[in-house]
Amino acid sequence: MSFLHIENLTKTYTVHDTSFVGVDNISLTINKGEFLSIVGHSGSGKTTLISIIGGILKPTTGRVLLEGTDICTLDDNRLSEYRVNRIGFMFQFASLLPILTAKENVLLPGIFNPGKNMPDEKAAVDLLEMVGIGEKADSYPSQLSGGQQRRVAIARALLNKPDIILADEPTGDLDEETEAEIMNLFEKINQKHGVTIILITHNLNLAGKAQKKLRMSKGRLVDI
Amino acid sequence: MAQLSFFSVALKNLKRKTFRTGVLVFAIALLVSLLIFAISFTVSVASSLKKSSERLGADLVVVPVGARGFAEEFLLESKNTSFYMPISINEKVKKIEGIEAMTHQTYLSSISGLCCDIMPTRIVAFNPATDFIINPWLQKSLGRPLQLGEAIAGFGTSENLGLGLLDIEATIFDNRFSIVGVLEETGTGLDHALFMTEENLKNIIKSGKSPLKEGNISIIFTKIKKGYDPDYVGRVLEGEIPEVDVIARSDMGEKFLNTLADINKIFLLTTFLASVLTTFLVWAIFSAIANERSKEIGIMRALGAKESHIVHLYLVEVTVLGLLGSTIGVLAGTYLSALLTGSFSLLKNISAGLSGGQQATIALIGLLVGTTICITGAMMPINRIKKMEPLLVIKEE
Ligand SMILES: Nc1ncnc2c1ncn2[C@@H]1O[C@H](COP(=O)(O)OP(=O)(O)OP(=O)(O)O)[C@@H](O)[C@H]1O
Ligand SMILES: [Mg+2]
Repeated sequence: MSFLHIENLTKTYTVHDTSFVGVDNISLTINKGEFLSIVGHSGSGKTTLISIIGGILKPTTGRVLLEGTDICTLDDNRLSEYRVNRIGFMFQFASLLPILTAKENVLLPGIFNPGKNMPDEKAAVDLLEMVGIGEKADSYPSQLSGGQQRRVAIARALLNKPDIILADEPTGDLDEETEAEIMNLFEKINQKHGVTIILITHNLNLAGKAQKKLRMSKGRLVDI
Repeated sequence: MAQLSFFSVALKNLKRKTFRTGVLVFAIALLVSLLIFAISFTVSVASSLKKSSERLGADLVVVPVGARGFAEEFLLESKNTSFYMPISINEKVKKIEGIEAMTHQTYLSSISGLCCDIMPTRIVAFNPATDFIINPWLQKSLGRPLQLGEAIAGFGTSENLGLGLLDIEATIFDNRFSIVGVLEETGTGLDHALFMTEENLKNIIKSGKSPLKEGNISIIFTKIKKGYDPDYVGRVLEGEIPEVDVIARSDMGEKFLNTLADINKIFLLTTFLASVLTTFLVWAIFSAIANERSKEIGIMRALGAKESHIVHLYLVEVTVLGLLGSTIGVLAGTYLSALLTGSFSLLKNISAGLSGGQQATIALIGLLVGTTICITGAMMPINRIKKMEPLLVIKEE
């Protein structure tokens, strides 16, 4: 049984009676501990695919099997548990809560995870230090630069020690140096802890660091 | 900083728009204070009527035909009225089956200047031999029977007469009386009377200053034997003796209770409308909140929040809001009730205090209603928003 198996996945968006295929009949197998990168033009369906894998978007047809369980058929409780326990999602879009400080934003997934011990503030500050903004722990998102906000979101995705990291252009607006640091972090997490990583990026350089490289075009996977 | 929790996130949410939060709290406070006032008013009138009639210790009250309303006014309020029937009625009442004990009283209204040197007062002459109404109070306050030429003041009378002290002489219907004491408060209209034994009446009639005639009495209090239905005995009494009307204990204060029922209807309608309005306001505000925060809710869902977590989070927020508003409302309503008691004639004449237990119950009802309304109004928008697909709301700007 493969770790993560995607089978005939299709997502059709319907707006005002016209349908648009975001992901077109994709099948894909990902092994545990694999570091996978996906590149592709804007609008090719990368976010759509990764969101379905992350359980925040329902596919029109097809299955996503994690260790044999189809996550698309889980009820809300089980799906939420899947998201909080197994997935660390770094969104393409700004995704911090404005009322919470950087530290509190990092801790937020903890309160949705009553099974495990609630991580404490120190864990949050450590994670922020790991992404290089430990000194901003008590700042609110509005007091942070775009790149700093991204790094808070990266730290947040790591809080619950996920099995799979889904990173949708996580270094989109970071300088090269910070970008390299984040990539090193990913490699470390991948190699040391065996965390599976799916990274979406426009940067072919970064994509090259992954063990496996995929390209998307018009909703389909194509060879590089 | 306290550990991050649903509660701390909800509080942070509440602090976001203090003006809006304030408006909601104020609206709920208004509603709850209205509710508290309405209930306090109704309960205090109803319970003081009940207390008064129980305090009298009589199952059936026999009065001259047509004098039922006067009698209730005399006993429950403190209106100054007089009504008479011949003492021979006593014999007829005694013959009715089921009567265990009976005693009569005679009421007089004093008019200052004309006959008496005290403020206009209601005078109650009772028969010490058969009495079971006044004697228990007398026993407590004076510890001995009243003598000829002695009178004792009801609790409220002492204030009206301006005495409050013992051994004051007064002229009543040209007779000198020494006022030997003040009775304890009973909560009945009799608090506003001056009491004497009926042997004094002879001299008062002799003075010619009172409308009272020899052989007249005002009222007969009766106790019913165990196992007899007071209503049935009352009907027999009225049937056998056409000269009298009978008031059962349960009917006492009927006039008030009818007025009260009407007032209640108005209260009910007002509070109902206010409740609907407040629910609508909460709904509207939480709809706006849900729209404003849809992206944040989507983020929380994407991070692993269950639908029930989202509901929990907003439930905490709305409950804090509801409790805050209701608490202010309870305080304001209780204060308002106390303040306005004096300005309602329905409450003025009867002693309308609420017990601590009653007040606590009413406060609890206020808290419960205020909070429930808040939750009801907020639930619909919250339920709508928790259902949205996370990615689609996250992408919203
Ligand atoms: N909610 C939606 N409704 C309708 N169409 C949508 C919706 N979301 C995405 N699409 C369409 O689906 C296609 C794939 O979108 P997706 O966001 O997956 O692209 P992407 O590869 O992540 O692009 P980018 O690199 O710009 O982020 C796009 O053409 C987009 O227009
Ligand atoms: Mg995208």
